[in-house]
Amino acid sequence: MTAIIEAQDLRRTFGAVRAVDGMSFAVEEGSICGLLGRNGAGKSTLMNLVMGQDFPSSGTVRVLGEDPVENARVLTRTCFIKESQSYPDAFRAKHVLATAPHFFPHYDHALAARLVADFDLPVNRMVKKMSRGQRSALGAIVGIASRAELTLLDEPYAGLDAVARHVFYDRLLEDYARHPRTIVLSTHLIDEVADLLDHVLVVHQGRLEIDAATEELRSSAATLVGRSADIDAFVEGREVLGRERIAGIASVTVAGLSQDDRARAARSGLEVTPVSLQQLIVRRTGAPTSEEVAS
Amino acid sequence: MTVAAAAPAALIPAGRRVWNVARLQFANPWPTVITPWLVLFAVHGLTWSIWSIIAHYAGPTLEEDAFRYAGGVSWLVIYMMVIAIQAMNATFRFALGFASTRRDYYMGTLAFFGIMAVVYGVGLGLLAGVERATDGWGVDGSFYAPAYLYDQPLAVVAFHFFALYLLFIAAGTLVGAMFVRWRATGLYVFFAGLLLLGVLLVWWLVDSGASTAAAFFTENTIAVIMAWTLPVSVVLAALGFLVMRRTPVRG
Repeated sequence: MTAIIEAQDLRRTFGAVRAVDGMSFAVEEGSICGLLGRNGAGKSTLMNLVMGQDFPSSGTVRVLGEDPVENARVLTRTCFIKESQSYPDAFRAKHVLATAPHFFPHYDHALAARLVADFDLPVNRMVKKMSRGQRSALGAIVGIASRAELTLLDEPYAGLDAVARHVFYDRLLEDYARHPRTIVLSTHLIDEVADLLDHVLVVHQGRLEIDAATEELRSSAATLVGRSADIDAFVEGREVLGRERIAGIASVTVAGLSQDDRARAARSGLEVTPVSLQQLIVRRTGAPTSEEVAS
Repeated sequence: MTVAAAAPAALIPAGRRVWNVARLQFANPWPTVITPWLVLFAVHGLTWSIWSIIAHYAGPTLEEDAFRYAGGVSWLVIYMMVIAIQAMNATFRFALGFASTRRDYYMGTLAFFGIMAVVYGVGLGLLAGVERATDGWGVDGSFYAPAYLYDQPLAVVAFHFFALYLLFIAAGTLVGAMFVRWRATGLYVFFAGLLLLGVLLVWWLVDSGASTAAAFFTENTIAVIMAWTLPVSVVLAALGFLVMRRTPVRG
């Protein structure tokens, strides 16, 4: 395994706010990594640090083995698209698309043209007059067509509707399959991207809550559904991540179920279903563990 | 886990990275290249009309150097300083979002404004040449080479404007960098600093420097005086870079 990004005890404070509070992790070269977390969890600050756009208060981050700050060797191999990207006032979308190849050496014009059609982007419109979704589409086009060795996408589809988001996922995966590279994607639409991700980093209040392969994370918990009494008996003494109760039926998300446990649960008449990544992360990042839906 | 191989060289050579940023500043030529000339020509036209009216009614009683002092060109340097500040604010985040380093960004921006200084210096020098060839636009007016430039060679007129532009642009990039880094606080600090410098200058002039300062301006030629602005411009630009190189990208 080869790391393209490596962070060691990375910290960034703004006054009393610890936006990034001691994160250590590595992102594998060639993977699609999801950076997940709530608003204000520190995702954007972390990405800014990785791309040398901001400076760590302490700790280190290495991209391609080097400090990314003011490092053209690293930066010319990257593309960082963020929702808050600002464009010069007079720029129309076509100016952005004409400028991009100067800055991204692997930029593919034909692909960009296809994506413009796919997203139905009005290239003659001033960027500042575009809707949030159109600006996101513009960013997504540049992000995919630039084919940088390391692509960071910070909330790349804010304002995009469901259809456009699926166009984005499809095109991203399609091009990734043809031209493998490393992609780090931050989002809070966890279930939508879950199938794309090889690895997830979940940040919560500036700290790294989860750093795991997607599959491993998914199998780390399961949801059990059955009669309340049976459920209560089964989960006694286990780590319960979430609990819902509707009339006499309970649904409980439990961590660390072994194969034997699953078999035993099935024998006691409980239904074992895979937990959604979103549920799991919501549980781990602050939602109350018990939820009375109705009684 | 091993670490991905260190990159041997940047994928885009340094010269092209700097040029990419300079090109970015050209992307919208209106505020930097087109508008100033249009305004300049409009002001020139207006000034010429007024000169003509005065010349017509004054007739032979008109003094010889009546139209030697016009301020129609000097606004350009202030305008370009403002443009420099605006340009930095408009393009810094964009260029860094497009994987530029701060160094490449700053060099590219300076290169762009350096080219502008040459264009304006040469352009105004040529117009001053036309002015002299046409007997001051037919009314013995000095619009492009007024006052102390009136009897200077055209090369000195051009150099004067070039150096003056560089000075104001260098100040503009410093202010721009301070604004991008510290927002409004940066501007307060800059202008407070400028005010302090002004006070110190007046103090020095009143105390002992008046004769020295007067000597500097009377004993040196325009070309020498303007040449002395070059190191000042370099210092301002270097200060701007020091501010820029630790500027985070906000937003």
